[in-house]
Amino acid sequence: MTRRVLLMFAVLALIALGLTFYALHLKRKVARDEQLAAEQQRALAPLTNGPPTPVTLYIASDSDGTLRRTRVNVTLPPERTERARAVLRALFGEYLQSSSPHPIGAGADVRDVYLLGDDTAVVDTNAAFGDAHPSGVLAEELTVASIVVTLNANDSKIARVKILINGQERETLAGHADLRRFYEASNIGQVVKDLQ
Amino acid sequence: MPLSGRRSRLAWAITAGLALLFAALLTRQAGVHAQAPGQNQLTVYSPQTSYSVPLLDVNGQPYAGLVELLEPLGSVDARIDGKKYKLHFTPPGGRPLEVQFTGGKDKGKVRGNGYKLPANFVLQNGRGYVPLSVTSEIISRLLGSDAQLHSAARRLFIGNVQARYTLELHKDNPSRLLLGFSSPVNPSIATEPGRVRLTFRREPIISSGPENVPYSDPLISGVNFSEHDGLAELDVTGTAALMANFADGGRTIIITGAPAPPPVAQEAPPPPAPANPQNPSPQPRQPAGPRFLVLIDPAHGGNDIGAAITPSLPEKDVVLALARRVQHQLANRGIAAGLLRNSDIAITLDQRATWTNAARPALYIALHAANTGQGVHVFTAMLPAANLSPQGFLPWDTAQAAFLDLSGSVAGSVAAELESRKLPNATLLAPLRPMNNIAAPAIAVEIAPPAGNVDEIASAAYQEQVAQSIAAGVAAIRAKLPEVRP
Repeated sequence: MTRRVLLMFAVLALIALGLTFYALHLKRKVARDEQLAAEQQRALAPLTNGPPTPVTLYIASDSDGTLRRTRVNVTLPPERTERARAVLRALFGEYLQSSSPHPIGAGADVRDVYLLGDDTAVVDTNAAFGDAHPSGVLAEELTVASIVVTLNANDSKIARVKILINGQERETLAGHADLRRFYEASNIGQVVKDLQ
Repeated sequence: MPLSGRRSRLAWAITAGLALLFAALLTRQAGVHAQAPGQNQLTVYSPQTSYSVPLLDVNGQPYAGLVELLEPLGSVDARIDGKKYKLHFTPPGGRPLEVQFTGGKDKGKVRGNGYKLPANFVLQNGRGYVPLSVTSEIISRLLGSDAQLHSAARRLFIGNVQARYTLELHKDNPSRLLLGFSSPVNPSIATEPGRVRLTFRREPIISSGPENVPYSDPLISGVNFSEHDGLAELDVTGTAALMANFADGGRTIIITGAPAPPPVAQEAPPPPAPANPQNPSPQPRQPAGPRFLVLIDPAHGGNDIGAAITPSLPEKDVVLALARRVQHQLANRGIAAGLLRNSDIAITLDQRATWTNAARPALYIALHAANTGQGVHVFTAMLPAANLSPQGFLPWDTAQAAFLDLSGSVAGSVAAELESRKLPNATLLAPLRPMNNIAAPAIAVEIAPPAGNVDEIASAAYQEQVAQSIAAGVAAIRAKLPEVRP
């Protein structure tokens, strides 16, 4: 075996090694993309069967920093917390579309909504909502405000809202918006007027 | 040689080659990522300002970031294209000067002239680093003024900023040692039995004579000067407890014997003597007067990069550059301003609030940046109005409620200045931490690209306009903001 063949063999071995790493990387990327797509699909899926009901959503727009009121038809479960969750999933579904004016983290979902007494809702979101949310004072404020006023618009008894990430209290959403506090719908209402 | 033996050798050669290759790669990565401890920083003294630059340890050699080094001295625009690093530095009132290097190479250009580094240029996390030893020469070439590096002490002096001290021993009873400085100084002072240590972090103090001066005095034994870790120290030793007093507006520090502790059972003090204008008795030190201090909080820092404005431009860098511009613009208007961070360090939200409240500023300004939206947003805290007195105890979670009216006035004043400069702007309430915990008038300013072009957010012209608007807005409302007694 000549020296040239040895050299060629070594080069080929290196190329093969590099291609193996690249193939592994691509495989992981495809699996990740498929998982994200499945999660997004799941976020849009209705929770129950039945006739669609019109609900009010406050949709944020990053380009002009506004919240716009819109109505969509959603199939709502009879139970109050499940209805609130379905409304928020419809809101997240709008944000998860590729053409969304206010994209949030891919795979974001609402795990549960709990009611404390009659007027306080605790919204438990999944980890993707907090981990992949775009960072920024206005971007995060728009998300929080749209959640609070959308809940209040569809269930006027909900006057206070607390947001959890994966069952836990977090200091901020993505570095800015305070998630340690309860948000009063009446206070957010003033912000929404400023943002409209 | 048999074929199987050749194959075996071939396999061993390939394995050994690959192992060496990976080992070299791993060693290189480990060397570059080994961060120096927090104390490893360079202090830069220039005629305009003093600041710290964190140093990166690369294979045992200290490196300084070019942006961190040059940004306080002028405007900086750095770009990376693959391994090529290009930086434009514009000194105040000057024209842009170019610095070019390539990651992993030791050759580059400074102001169009070839320049060879003593070690390879390092690119890491979108930042360019040069060996510490060349920082003075690069600054000299860019600024056209002399720069001296005290490499072991991690101190860099630009121009003739060095300040020397004089020593004067008065053999009174007790003896007094007078340390004289050409301009006011404000060292931190630590005392322990028989010793007073003065630590100068911001002052470019250097030794003008021997670093160790012994005295044959019953009280003062000697003075030792040292510089290390980006600071200077004067260590005064004695045979008894010593104390330090400031005089002459901070230009003189008097070291003398500390008074003996009072006896446990004290007699009632004698009644004060009637005032005698012919023979005035020593007056007690007057408390410091009120002062107007603006505290600027560049958000994020360290591992908390904030928003990724672009893949190579984190929010933490944008806001630090803007904070320095705002500080400069406020100084131009005669308003003292401090920065909560002046380098790439991590500070928690609670620390920001705690430090701000301890400094008792007349105004707190948090700075943020985002790559969504357009223009400048001025925020005040989203809190319900509360009937709280700013002078009383304030609840931590809603301390800002006592200052909402003043905060709103400042936000309006800044927005008016932004409007007059035709910068798109809006004034909003925001649930932004740590604004609610600030016991002073407080606003937050978030800048977004002026017209949708994300790169513009870091442009000197845009940031300068925003900084001027903020400073002018503060200056316009200053009369309405109460000065605070430190």
